Amino acid sequence: MELPLALVIGLLFASGTYCLLRPNLVRMVIGFGLLSNAVNLMMIVAGGYSTASRAPFVNDAADTTGLMDPLPPDIVLTAIVINFAVGALFLSICYVVFRDHGTDDPDRLARAGFEDEA
Amino acid sequence: MNSVVLFVLVPFVTAIVLALLNGRPRAERAIGAASTIALAAWSFMVLAQVDADGIQVSMMGGHAAPYGISFVADRLACIMLCLSTSVGAVALVSSFATVTPAQEKYFFHPFFQIALLGVNWSFLTGDLFNMFVAYEVMLIGSYGVMIVGASRAQVRQTLMYVAVNLVGGTLFVTGLALIYATTGTLNMADLARYTADLHGERAGIVTTASMVLMLVFALKAAVFPVFFWLPDSYPVVPSGMNGFFAGLMTKVGVYSLLRVFVMTFQQEGNEIVTQTLLVLSGFTMILGVLGAVCQWEIRRILSWHVISQVGYMVMGIGLTANPAIARAATAGTVFYIVHHIIVKSSLFLLGDLAEHVTGKRGLKNMGGALVLAPVASAMFFVAAVSLAGMPPFSGFLSKLLLIRAGLDGGNWIIVAIAIVTGFLTIMSMMKIWSYAFWGTPEAGTTAPHSFAMAAPASLLVAATIVLGVWAQPLLRLADATAADLLEPHAYIQAVLGNQAVLPGAH
Repeated sequence: MELPLALVIGLLFASGTYCLLRPNLVRMVIGFGLLSNAVNLMMIVAGGYSTASRAPFVNDAADTTGLMDPLPPDIVLTAIVINFAVGALFLSICYVVFRDHGTDDPDRLARAGFEDEA
Repeated sequence: MNSVVLFVLVPFVTAIVLALLNGRPRAERAIGAASTIALAAWSFMVLAQVDADGIQVSMMGGHAAPYGISFVADRLACIMLCLSTSVGAVALVSSFATVTPAQEKYFFHPFFQIALLGVNWSFLTGDLFNMFVAYEVMLIGSYGVMIVGASRAQVRQTLMYVAVNLVGGTLFVTGLALIYATTGTLNMADLARYTADLHGERAGIVTTASMVLMLVFALKAAVFPVFFWLPDSYPVVPSGMNGFFAGLMTKVGVYSLLRVFVMTFQQEGNEIVTQTLLVLSGFTMILGVLGAVCQWEIRRILSWHVISQVGYMVMGIGLTANPAIARAATAGTVFYIVHHIIVKSSLFLLGDLAEHVTGKRGLKNMGGALVLAPVASAMFFVAAVSLAGMPPFSGFLSKLLLIRAGLDGGNWIIVAIAIVTGFLTIMSMMKIWSYAFWGTPEAGTTAPHSFAMAAPASLLVAATIVLGVWAQPLLRLADATAADLLEPHAYIQAVLGNQAVLPGAH
């Protein structure tokens, strides 16, 4: 199970980085979403996940061999919530930038300075 | 379960109450200030307790570490909490003079409490994953404080700040996944115990994984080459609050570097990371101060100085690569962090005051702040020469400690860079002084609210004088902190107790 997951993680990292580097605000949001999913999958692999793993805490806990490590899914759950919230915030800031500056190209936003501060 | 968790709980409850009180600025100010000042007073009591009786640990939900979430108040965490709460209180009270009704209406007060919550949490957490969560909470609060009021410049710079920190957060979890895959734990006490006698191939993997974390903390601390986001972001933060940002936000990154690379990772090869930091610190110092020299606006000059000053602290962390001077360098770093947070916040607050009383932002048009606000100008002068490292202020002693550690270790190049940076710092501080404070003010300018802005900052200026003249208590505390960090037996004992080595990837 590690090889397909590794390929998916690599693909997500590559496409996320590509989107993040595009001069387009919405693609930056999409790139962030792809990157965060790549990282979440990586966390699952870090916990030693395989298709043979059994769910922990479901049946009688007498036999503990082959149980999935429950900590990485906990971490991923927290990370998903955080990334969702921050991604929504990022998208809304992108919208405000588009509304105020009339462009979705970060390169065309005026260079930093206070000349335009209201 | 004990009371250290209140440092997180009190700002959380306060933020909710303030959000509900939205539209009543007086009540919001009173409650926000009262809660932050009370927390500041209490943090000094906890520091005294921890210094006398040892580390206090709180396990969330009663689950034992390393599985449970632990809050650990050791000497370093308590020193940082004292700074975060008291500088937070000072910045909050002085922002009352300039915050606009529109900013207060758009949840300025709750956002500040959330940022303070995140800062306190990242100092207290005993677990790397919770450090990530604390970072995100702190950042969400800081996005709010930075964008509140939503001028065009604020919106644009907040976008960049958010984007940079999103990438940082993603890398943080990447590093955590790599470390978890290698060691099977993210609890810092557990990692310190596990890596203490780790050699060979596995130690190399842990070092490589920890490099990812180094990049994240360096990004947060604005270390070369990932400092580019800072000089454009900090100047747009509302006046008053930039004292809090410049003083504390980057120092959370420095704190994490200190906690993680001096205390937590002890494996063979960790000195590669600290030596890398030593090289980066040289670039950070010199490029930060050169950036400051060519700026013509108080806030921008001070923002670039944040970078060069972070260089000094990272230099102290880098010097720990040499075991002979590790203790002196760590103690020097702790002392420097205390000095820097106090001085940098007061410079930003008083620099804002100079802009406020002269009504100008560019240095070339300013002038006469000395006539308009003489006491505040004198305080700025004290803080500026303290930043540059003149005796008898705290800046002299903190630079002396680091430079002496560097000389003892034979690190001549970094010592030379540190001294040159000090001279260039004086130069750019004198530029602010001669353009903004000397000269005659334009006719018709008045000095509204200058007392309300200067009074809170005077506490910080008093602190830099006291720490320079009567440094012995802090020196002793810094030395004890260094000993704790380099030999974390007490920390491991306090968090993990006498448990046997746990099963798992170990």
